[in-house]
Amino acid sequence: MSPTKILCVAEKPAIAKAVAQHLSGGSVRTIPIRGNQYVKNYVFDFNFGGPWGNCAVTMTSVLGHLTKLEFEKQYRGWQSCLPESLFEAPVFELVEDDKKAIAKNIQEQAKYCQALFIWTDCDREGEHIGTEIRKHAKKGNARIVVKRAKFSNTERAHILNAARALIELDDLQANAVAARTELDLRIGAAFTRLLSIQLQPLTEALANKVISYGSCQFPTLGFVVDRYLRVKNFKPEKFWGIKVMHTRDDIKVNFLWKRVHLFDRAVVTVMLERCLMAKNAKVAKVNQKPTSKWRPLPLTTVDLQMMGSRYLRMDSQAIMKAAESLYTKGFTSYPRTETDQFDKGIDLKKLIEKQFPDNNWGQYARGLLDGGFRTPRAGRHNDHAHPPIHPICWVAPTALNADEKKVYEFITRRFLACCSEDAKGQSSEVEIEYGDEVFHAKGLIVLERNYLDVYVYDKWESSQQLPNFRVGELFEPTEAKIFDGQTTPPNYLTEPELIGLMDANGIGTDATMAEHIAKIKDREYVVVHTRGSGRNAAKVFIPTWLGIALVEGYDNIVSGLPDSPSLSKPFLRKEMESRMRDICAGTMTRHDVVHESLDKYHEVFIHTVRRISMLKDAIRKYSSQIGAS
Amino acid sequence: MCNWIQDVENEAQLSTHLQTKYSLPVSPTWLNSFLASTQQHRTVPLSALTQTAHFRLLASDFRDSLTTETASSLLPTDIFDPTVQERRLQGPIPVQVLDIDDIGTSLWSQVEAIERVERGEAVRGREIVRTVNVDDAEGVTRGSTTTTNAGAHESGGSNGPHRLILQDARGTRAVGFELKSVGGFALGSMAIGAKLVLRNVTVARGMVLLTPECVTLLGGKIEALDVAWREGRKQRLLDRVGEMERAQE
Repeated sequence: MSPTKILCVAEKPAIAKAVAQHLSGGSVRTIPIRGNQYVKNYVFDFNFGGPWGNCAVTMTSVLGHLTKLEFEKQYRGWQSCLPESLFEAPVFELVEDDKKAIAKNIQEQAKYCQALFIWTDCDREGEHIGTEIRKHAKKGNARIVVKRAKFSNTERAHILNAARALIELDDLQANAVAARTELDLRIGAAFTRLLSIQLQPLTEALANKVISYGSCQFPTLGFVVDRYLRVKNFKPEKFWGIKVMHTRDDIKVNFLWKRVHLFDRAVVTVMLERCLMAKNAKVAKVNQKPTSKWRPLPLTTVDLQMMGSRYLRMDSQAIMKAAESLYTKGFTSYPRTETDQFDKGIDLKKLIEKQFPDNNWGQYARGLLDGGFRTPRAGRHNDHAHPPIHPICWVAPTALNADEKKVYEFITRRFLACCSEDAKGQSSEVEIEYGDEVFHAKGLIVLERNYLDVYVYDKWESSQQLPNFRVGELFEPTEAKIFDGQTTPPNYLTEPELIGLMDANGIGTDATMAEHIAKIKDREYVVVHTRGSGRNAAKVFIPTWLGIALVEGYDNIVSGLPDSPSLSKPFLRKEMESRMRDICAGTMTRHDVVHESLDKYHEVFIHTVRRISMLKDAIRKYSSQIGAS
Repeated sequence: MCNWIQDVENEAQLSTHLQTKYSLPVSPTWLNSFLASTQQHRTVPLSALTQTAHFRLLASDFRDSLTTETASSLLPTDIFDPTVQERRLQGPIPVQVLDIDDIGTSLWSQVEAIERVERGEAVRGREIVRTVNVDDAEGVTRGSTTTTNAGAHESGGSNGPHRLILQDARGTRAVGFELKSVGGFALGSMAIGAKLVLRNVTVARGMVLLTPECVTLLGGKIEALDVAWREGRKQRLLDRVGEMERAQE
């Protein structure tokens, strides 16, 4: 009897290659496919165990999504129809020309195989790509059995386990992606055409420019504009406070006012006078207690992007690109995850051991296994698909490019920090009552640095030591006086802040946030400026005149309309995201979600058409300002 | 005849009652018109009548409803005098609130908070929440007073301390501030025309030092003043910001 023939399909060529290497143990034949230079077929034998046994395997891949959603031909030209009709125009799936050879390869291979095992990434997109692969395999062989491998990194043992514990494709997740794809296409195309056609003629600067709309792009732009306007409109104000200083044992102790500061000078003056009238301050509390600085939580994608852009001086897209490549090469786990807790089954010590060879943190890793190891803290998120981002094996820095090196180092240091003891210290606090006011002073001694030794991104340092104070003791402070200051405007939005806002407001997923940010830069809705210099330099987002005009125009369009949130706000998109989760949970169907969301956006579209003059006014207003300056 | 006597007795009893129970010395004119308006309810027991009178008083203007005969229940007319370092007023002095301000928060961040409310938004941490047609607007966070620029006070409250303008039955005004936090003092929840009684209160440099020990908050409001105050609040804040800007130039 000839062995069972199996077709395996991964999401990317690099994953196909890595999985084929692990399953075959190295003896693998590589066959190029006709019509595509990236995708290869890998042929080898493997024992999948269970009902499958020893099989002849062909492993291949796609290049991301195989199909694309498109309007029918008569709707594709920009002037072919009213943009509004795109909310209902028929759409169909098609394989793009450059993917045809890949689809054909799958269809051909399926003919000779009894089963199809899908190895796409285990997330919503991967599930959807899995259904695309299934569709084409069934074209070649309607009776082919379909299974899916569940894996989150390309480490050998993990891949071997996944190959022997196959599961089913999750059609609900695939449906959610299908719904989102249709919504993005219809809403994006309708608004983009409307905006471009209506606004291009207004000014030279917009001639031939695509003014795109995306339901994530716009709220992302909205956050940038909102902050920009807050900075621009800001009015500084004076404030006053009371500063108390007392010298004891040659130490000058500065006591801070519990009220911090107030915006009324007369009131502060009266309060200070009452302190001075009281003459003596009374020590109300003396606290000496052990304190600790907690080691970080296991790493999620959003955190990687936020911390990365803060400490590594890379933008989120570059970080994700490097993380993606580290994952594909098998050095780190899957970089798209919401999980901030490690599974109990994972062998953390073994992962730590792999870091021993490193010149910088190898010694530290050794220390962890010599008794320093602590079980990581568990956060509250678990996407039940992927573990937190962690290193899979050690890699020599020379094998990585500059970006990969920085990201790998961050992921590894973070991982080792998670498995370490919290930093320990002793804090002391003295609280005094003076007149009717309360003041306090704080001191800190760091006793054990622990995780801080490897997690160089966190700072925690000893401060000035406090002299002895006894509870109930009375003393006359050396000095008490009024200080003044001025409020300062907020800063322009930085990338970590923007990611934080997107995350909190449900704009995009951990996988797509970086793309949305890149998109609003591409479209010239925002530009990136560098603030400060040297170590304190930070990149900030500033909207262009076009970005401001679009947001202002849209806000004006809905202003005064009941229950019509502006497209520059996150509300509509957030609602759409939560509908996606409903589809995944099986509580709503793809069909209902698409219709409900289309209705909502259609309503905004009608308002936009009706009040388009407001958008035009905003464009004219800002473009003329540019011309003048 | 008999009714007339009863009226007089009622009036006296009611007046005493309002004085002892709420420390509110009502004016005879106001009491007369109050009783006249409740004539059809002659059989109402005194306690219920006191209740009704109390509610009406809370909605009234003290300048109309209270007597100015008793000096001890009035603010001294020179109360604002900043040369007086400290004096104590025994009271009880009933006063009404003409203005309330949060001096722990910058004017500008209060303007920003009002604008967020106008847009139907609230801020919950980093999350922007729509409050229009959404009933779970609770749990709205307040910015801490330690941030000077991003104070995110929402319509629901304020951190204080608050500065108030108080007015007594004779119309004398005084500025007071919360030396210690007093329950019920908050922007939004405290209405203009709300009534307080001051007892054994300290006045320093012309300002009344408000603490929970010396303030009894009776509540209430003067509808017309309250509406006007709310409508004009943003503009007043903006005007003050503008004044400050000009002063610095």
